[in-house]
Amino acid sequence: MAMLQRRILKRTLEEAKARFNFNCNRIRSPGASFSTVTSSSSSAAAEAPDNVLPQLPPFDYQPKPYNGPSADEVLAKRKKFLGPSLFYYYQKPLNIVEGKMQYLFDESGRRYLDAFAGIVTVSCGHCHPEILNAIVEQSKLLQHATTIYLHHAIADFAEVLASKMPGNLKVVYFVNSGSEANELAMLMARLYTGSLGMISLRNAYHGGSSNTIGLTALNTWKYPIPEGEIHHVMNPDPFRGAFGSDATSYAKEVQDHIEYGTSGKVAGFIAETIQGVGGAVELAPGYLKQVYDIVRKAGGVCIADEVQTGFGRTGSHYWGFETQGVIPDVVTMAKGIGNGLPLGAVVTTPEIASVMAQKIQFNTFGGNPVCSAGGLAVLRVIDKEKRQAHCADVGSHLIGRLRSLQDKHDIIGDVRGRGLMVGVEIVTDRKEKTPAKAETAILFEKMRELGVLLGKGGLHGNVFRIKPPMCFTKDDADFLVDALDYAMSKL
Amino acid sequence: MQRFIPVRRLLTEAKSSLRRLRRCFSQVTQNEVDKSDGFVPKMPSFDYTPPPYTGPSADEILSKRKEYLSPAMFTLYSKPLNIVDGRMQYLFDDKGRRYLDAFGGIATVCCGHCHPDVVEAIVNQTKRLQHSTILYLNHSIADFAEALANKLPGNLKVVFFTNSGTEANELAMMIARLYTGCHDIISLRNAYHGNAAGTMGATAQSNWKFNVIQSGVHHAVNPDPYRGVFGSDGEKYARDVQDLIQFGTSGNIAGFISEAIQGVGGIIELAPGYLPAVYSTIKKAGGLCIADEVQAGFARTGSHFWGFENHGVVPDIVTMAKGIGNGIPLGAVVTTPEIAVVLTRRNYFNTFGGNPVCTAGGLAVLKIIEKEKLQENAFVVGTYLKERLTALKDKYDLIGDVRGRGLMLGVEFVTDQKLKTPAKLETLHIMDQMKEIGVLVGKGGFHGNVFRITPPLCLTKEDADFLVDAMDYIIASM
Repeated sequence: MAMLQRRILKRTLEEAKARFNFNCNRIRSPGASFSTVTSSSSSAAAEAPDNVLPQLPPFDYQPKPYNGPSADEVLAKRKKFLGPSLFYYYQKPLNIVEGKMQYLFDESGRRYLDAFAGIVTVSCGHCHPEILNAIVEQSKLLQHATTIYLHHAIADFAEVLASKMPGNLKVVYFVNSGSEANELAMLMARLYTGSLGMISLRNAYHGGSSNTIGLTALNTWKYPIPEGEIHHVMNPDPFRGAFGSDATSYAKEVQDHIEYGTSGKVAGFIAETIQGVGGAVELAPGYLKQVYDIVRKAGGVCIADEVQTGFGRTGSHYWGFETQGVIPDVVTMAKGIGNGLPLGAVVTTPEIASVMAQKIQFNTFGGNPVCSAGGLAVLRVIDKEKRQAHCADVGSHLIGRLRSLQDKHDIIGDVRGRGLMVGVEIVTDRKEKTPAKAETAILFEKMRELGVLLGKGGLHGNVFRIKPPMCFTKDDADFLVDALDYAMSKL
Repeated sequence: MQRFIPVRRLLTEAKSSLRRLRRCFSQVTQNEVDKSDGFVPKMPSFDYTPPPYTGPSADEILSKRKEYLSPAMFTLYSKPLNIVDGRMQYLFDDKGRRYLDAFGGIATVCCGHCHPDVVEAIVNQTKRLQHSTILYLNHSIADFAEALANKLPGNLKVVFFTNSGTEANELAMMIARLYTGCHDIISLRNAYHGNAAGTMGATAQSNWKFNVIQSGVHHAVNPDPYRGVFGSDGEKYARDVQDLIQFGTSGNIAGFISEAIQGVGGIIELAPGYLPAVYSTIKKAGGLCIADEVQAGFARTGSHFWGFENHGVVPDIVTMAKGIGNGIPLGAVVTTPEIAVVLTRRNYFNTFGGNPVCTAGGLAVLKIIEKEKLQENAFVVGTYLKERLTALKDKYDLIGDVRGRGLMLGVEFVTDQKLKTPAKLETLHIMDQMKEIGVLVGKGGFHGNVFRITPPLCLTKEDADFLVDAMDYIIASM
């Protein structure tokens, strides 16, 4: 069986090569150099021939020499003290010891392009000087005292964060993670409505705690525990969904669930605008508008999970939900909010917040001075460095090049996303859309060897997630695509 | 236009202020004469001056909090304190005034505010790599996990890092339920374990429980030596757990969770003999024993590193947070390799958990506790402090109980020693007055009438004297 697969692969490869050479001859401009990929304009940046190794863009920074434990030592300790459930990337795991902006360095000082940003978390760049400064300065003054005393950092940060929100979304709760944020959002929805039923999308990821596991809808992440009143509706997935991009049909499914599967009233609906863990799946356009209406008519609260899509990453808008033209009742965020600081937040309206005042709700670490100072620095950097516009610019360049790559390689089933939240789905058959798990794994390893650290997602693990720090440049994008091209050509 | 105040007016003003001053002084001397103990207690000296504060004022912050933060967010004190700086066991307000921090950011700052070793570890790691996730290797998480595991007895050596106590307890409860295949968990009345869905169920005080579904948790009678129905008879309380299992469950349960000394509940030490008896019952029912060390852990009890060690038991799962990082957002669950396997059934992942900066901070904390012999200090100073507080109890009827261990101490105020009626207003008053003198304590207990004294473990005997003298001074004037 393996022989047959190899023969098919070989044939595919030869066809691809032929197609590539044809394209090369078509677009190659005289005098263009293919040995070093430094060009950033999309027209001249043709695919590199498959016998030339793509080069990392230059970067004026030297990592410190590393004298700590080796990869093997660390791995041995992990196996002994961190349990068998702690998984890692790559057959030979990478020992990452330093980071700077969009690059990471391993123990030997080798530089890698970080195309995953610690899972969409390092928003401004590793060790970004302004954020570093804010953290260090505050750590020297006061790390922690809790909100039983006043401190300006939490108040200043909440004010600026609230100012980024539309509508009447202006009461901020600080927590320490996305899971905590979504837990709190669910609590708010149930308290406010007096109903129990929550609705989330198949293929969603909202957390790993026992309650948010209920909202999460990917079997590999769901332990067999009671989840309470949670129902998962059909995913408005333009690539794999039963209705393609027809938002109305998917929305009707929500309506049907409410009418037949509930008392007619629900607590709330939660969704990521672009599913992260699920493989960078953008919800069919127009979906949220229709569903928000349906849910609100059933008395429910609409929650937007912006843990991955928030803070300008989508390029066109600051928040993911804005791309669908809606205003939620509750917004949850984490990951990029602190460029890596353990921080999360829930923003809602004063009306919904008031129901939380019935009892005491307290978070010991939430809103501590250091994380608040870091979070405020992140907001300022994103504005000052115009990261949102940058994401739009570089993102469209990246997606454009990936789409060209899709024309060249049959195994690319779909290229999707927005700004610097991009997914590339690998399939063995374009019609059947059969997930190419093995090929994805091979390419994933190959990309690491070439110097690009991607992310992986989708239920079948066949989607490359490209969500780098938002200082990622066009040159980085070119390097990434050239490397992918090179790796695919060698399959 | 000339601006000068007519001399006559100046003189009148001077005379009246002099009169005021004289009145003031005479009042002071009057008060001093009234106090049986003499002078207002003075804070021990401390060689550190905070940098001048030029940020927003207390009022500005308060109005922003009212507008942009949770309406349920409360502050201690009628006039909330604007705390801007911290150093070891002291905090500073926006005017540079120093306070003795006897609450430790809720038993969290164990080494001391901005302890130089912890700050250095955090700053150095932040400059190198803040975050990359455990998808890649990094020595920081491995080194800390090893050091932490070495502090635990038995086969407790697999560590899961989270970002808070709530996350740690949630994970512990899920692990117990998965491992046993059962859903029922037993916790104690008056316990506090967290504010998420599962932990809210385990938490057992109505003011922390919202009206949402909290399934599968049963609350046992609290083995409270001061207020409990069976006094200090640990075994009698344990029999309630036995009954609970036999009558309220299928006979098999997922587990039992408790704090060794209840924190939010008002520094209540579990009656002696309780935990060993209950652990045995739980094991017979196939359940796992979870020790919530979020407040009692990390040398705070003085006699031992972990709270549960005071009871002579070895749990199956230990959860921790607060003191683990001296204030950095970090939590952990430690269990046996056998139990840890359950999480391999699916993917469990925590994005921030175990990040290089927090684990570097955590490792620094462990090193400091050892190097500066903080456990011994907690024992010595804590014992001394408890003795002095107990003497105060003998002096004033207002103090119903003094309890706790090491630097996790509680003082309960009652209006009637026999009936143990909670003295809620008096507690608030004393707390406020303590702040005026310069001592910040915490409050707890279901009725809010217990002082929680959980300072940084570097507290000195002089600090302890200052605290007790302040209390003495205030209660005497009531």
